[in-house]
Amino acid sequence: MTLTLDDPKAARDAAAEFNKVHAAIRDEVGKMMVGQEAVVEGVLAAMFAGGHVLLEGVPGLGKTLLVSSLGKAVDLSFSRIQFTPDMMPADIRGTNVLSESETGGTKLEFQEGPLVANLVLADEINRATPRTQSALLESMQEKQISVGKRTIVLEEPFCVMATQNPVEQEGTYPLPEAQLDRFLFKLVVGYPAEADYRTILRRTTTNEAIELSAVSNAETVVRMRQIVRAIPVPEHVESEAIRLVMGTQPGSDYCPSMVNEIVSLGASPRGVQALILAGKVRALREGRFAVAGEDLRAVAPDVLRHRVLVNFQGLSEGITPDNVVTEVLKHVEPVTA
Amino acid sequence: MSSMTPETLSRGIDAVERNARGQLIADDRSKVMRTHVPWALLLLLIVPVTALLWQALRWFSGQPVGWFGIGWLAILTCAVPAVALFVRTYMHSASVNRRQALIAMDRTLGSADRLATADDFMRAEHPNGFQKAAIEDAADWVEQGRIADVATRETQALSRQRAVFVVPLAIVLLLSAFGISGLERTAAASVAEEEPQPEPPSVTTENAVAQTPPAVQETEEPKAEEKKQKPAAKRAAKKSSSPVSSVPDEAEESRGQLTEGESSESQQSSNPSSAQGAPSSQGQPSKPDEADQKKKKKKKQKPKPNQRKPKQQEEKKEEPSGATAGQGSSRGSNNNAAANDWSSKSQQATKEDEDADSDDDAEDDDEEQESRGGVQPNMRDRRPPVNRDLNIGLGRARPNPDANGRGGPGAQKKSRGVASLILGVPIPDRITGQPNKGRTRITQQRITPEGEDSESVPAEDRGTRNGPVGPIHHPDFSPWLQDYVKKYFLKRRETADKKSDDTTATDKATEGANKG
Repeated sequence: MTLTLDDPKAARDAAAEFNKVHAAIRDEVGKMMVGQEAVVEGVLAAMFAGGHVLLEGVPGLGKTLLVSSLGKAVDLSFSRIQFTPDMMPADIRGTNVLSESETGGTKLEFQEGPLVANLVLADEINRATPRTQSALLESMQEKQISVGKRTIVLEEPFCVMATQNPVEQEGTYPLPEAQLDRFLFKLVVGYPAEADYRTILRRTTTNEAIELSAVSNAETVVRMRQIVRAIPVPEHVESEAIRLVMGTQPGSDYCPSMVNEIVSLGASPRGVQALILAGKVRALREGRFAVAGEDLRAVAPDVLRHRVLVNFQGLSEGITPDNVVTEVLKHVEPVTA
Repeated sequence: MSSMTPETLSRGIDAVERNARGQLIADDRSKVMRTHVPWALLLLLIVPVTALLWQALRWFSGQPVGWFGIGWLAILTCAVPAVALFVRTYMHSASVNRRQALIAMDRTLGSADRLATADDFMRAEHPNGFQKAAIEDAADWVEQGRIADVATRETQALSRQRAVFVVPLAIVLLLSAFGISGLERTAAASVAEEEPQPEPPSVTTENAVAQTPPAVQETEEPKAEEKKQKPAAKRAAKKSSSPVSSVPDEAEESRGQLTEGESSESQQSSNPSSAQGAPSSQGQPSKPDEADQKKKKKKKQKPKPNQRKPKQQEEKKEEPSGATAGQGSSRGSNNNAAANDWSSKSQQATKEDEDADSDDDAEDDDEEQESRGGVQPNMRDRRPPVNRDLNIGLGRARPNPDANGRGGPGAQKKSRGVASLILGVPIPDRITGQPNKGRTRITQQRITPEGEDSESVPAEDRGTRNGPVGPIHHPDFSPWLQDYVKKYFLKRRETADKKSDDTTATDKATEGANKG
């Protein structure tokens, strides 16, 4: 289903509807999540752009709570997978199990895994082995699961929200680049501000119970995704997005010298797609009907930081992918030709 | 949202674009001008340097130095860079396209690319609803864009350092050029004061000029004129130092006349071509001649190259003109100062030089015996370097003239056999053992220890931390690296613990021993 709006008034209405839905979900999630407005915005942007999110932060910041709250606020089928080192791909995709038939015999019956849901929380995804992590690859990109001869098409909207802890690395398996590239955003969850701590204490250490209600549903989310995709992108903004992504690739015409020295792997074409989609969401949120260069630059850190692989020299110098993205943003100028 | 028709909006965007483009072009030219100011500053030096060179050339060639008006020079100095800068700036073709102008205006207005986006979408054949909405969105910014000033780009600051350096240099050069002409006039005036009555031209000069070819005469005349301007005192000193200075001018003139070709004994001393092998004693005592010969003998005994030249120069100074006649010196009888200059010049590459060369050749053998300190190879014989062949001789006890027993096989031998297969000298890549640390020198100094006063600081409780530690940055290291670092510190801690345990055990043992 493709949304075609030829009337500017209809387009304005659609944009207004998007902002209304967005605000409703954000406010509902905000009841539970305190002091993480930017992260909530990012998660919603990823959901409306049709992408997946990797949340990274130390324990206790509410990553899991955020995703579960989102599941409640949007009334989506929600499943949580706690990734452990002994988890197998079949544990998340599903497998054929032997069951008794009505006639008294036995039969092989396919049992769906937790991956078959609208909103999947992959908690501590880096604790599972790469084998199990790879089970997510197909579902995240093709929105389907292949088990034996069976292919299960996942229902829209499908969104994987994974969390990982950057500090505790004992017994973990870093996500492979192919997996990382499939996440639209990598959001870094930081500590809340001092004022937010009081609210957190009041809401979590008293008898005050917060009940979240569903303010949206799957159909609305799908429609919002269509509105996002209908946002046009001017030619010069497209060029800027391409140059920004090429700027992270060592040896390209647009990369700064720093990239040539310390980056071993830059963003892929999937990075441009992500940049444009995230820019579209931001343009709508800013009340515009087309993507601007500033939208790209605003979302670039979240979109590109996990697609840039810093080499050993960079690691030894304490340079992070965020530093690289900042340098690229400084180096790549707006396209005027 | 304003209610503009698409045509009005299009015209409005055109006007915005013209406004922005004009400002950008002006800004670009300004930037170009500022960029080229350092270059133009260098052009300030062209006129002063040229004027200075021109004046200096004329000064050294003895020609009358012209005089430039300082005002004209200054105007010309400033005009050259100004014109060059103007031409360069307006020759620069500022290329500002439509999108560039609109994006610059968007940035100035903070309109998030609305104008550029609208311009882009207006060219679409079938704009959809969002594109139309985006075009309408730009209408609010068009009015502002018509009158707004595009933010100027970053401009390069004028290189004041260069200006500080170049401008004074240009002034100094200008004044120097001006000063040379002043100097010339001053010098001419002083010469005129010192020589109110110029000496009558000597007969010798005229004769000598008559003997020389006309071309040479033409070239040497300015030199002679220049020499004439030398102070009279210098000339008098020269006369007094000369052995024939006591000879009156008439005698000089008569001697000069004799050189014209009259048969006379004195002609032998004055004519260089006929003077060889017949040393003349006319007009001078024989003792200096003998002394000179002795000196030359001494010189041959001590042929130090660094001492030879000064000696020769001294001899040339000391020698009276006739004393060198036996060696063919052409300086013979020209004692007239005016004639001496040009004649010595005209005969520069004559017999005297040849004799000097032959002297050098004779002394080369002695020079070869001297050590040159290994700085320069002995290439006089033009022979190739010794072939370091290990062959002892050519057979029958005949020694190989090229073999001296040093070195290894020659090139021909190296190109054959196993030696040719070895690409280089094998060097062990690891040297076992420790390198020599060198001598250890301990210097002890006997000093009496002196007591120093110091204030004791009482120990205080620093208290506990009040504020939070703050966020601790965890670098995004890969797990294996973090693991590696962790292991390193654990190992180090273990080593430290072990050492402390050993120390404690040793202390306990010592205490036990003391008690015992």
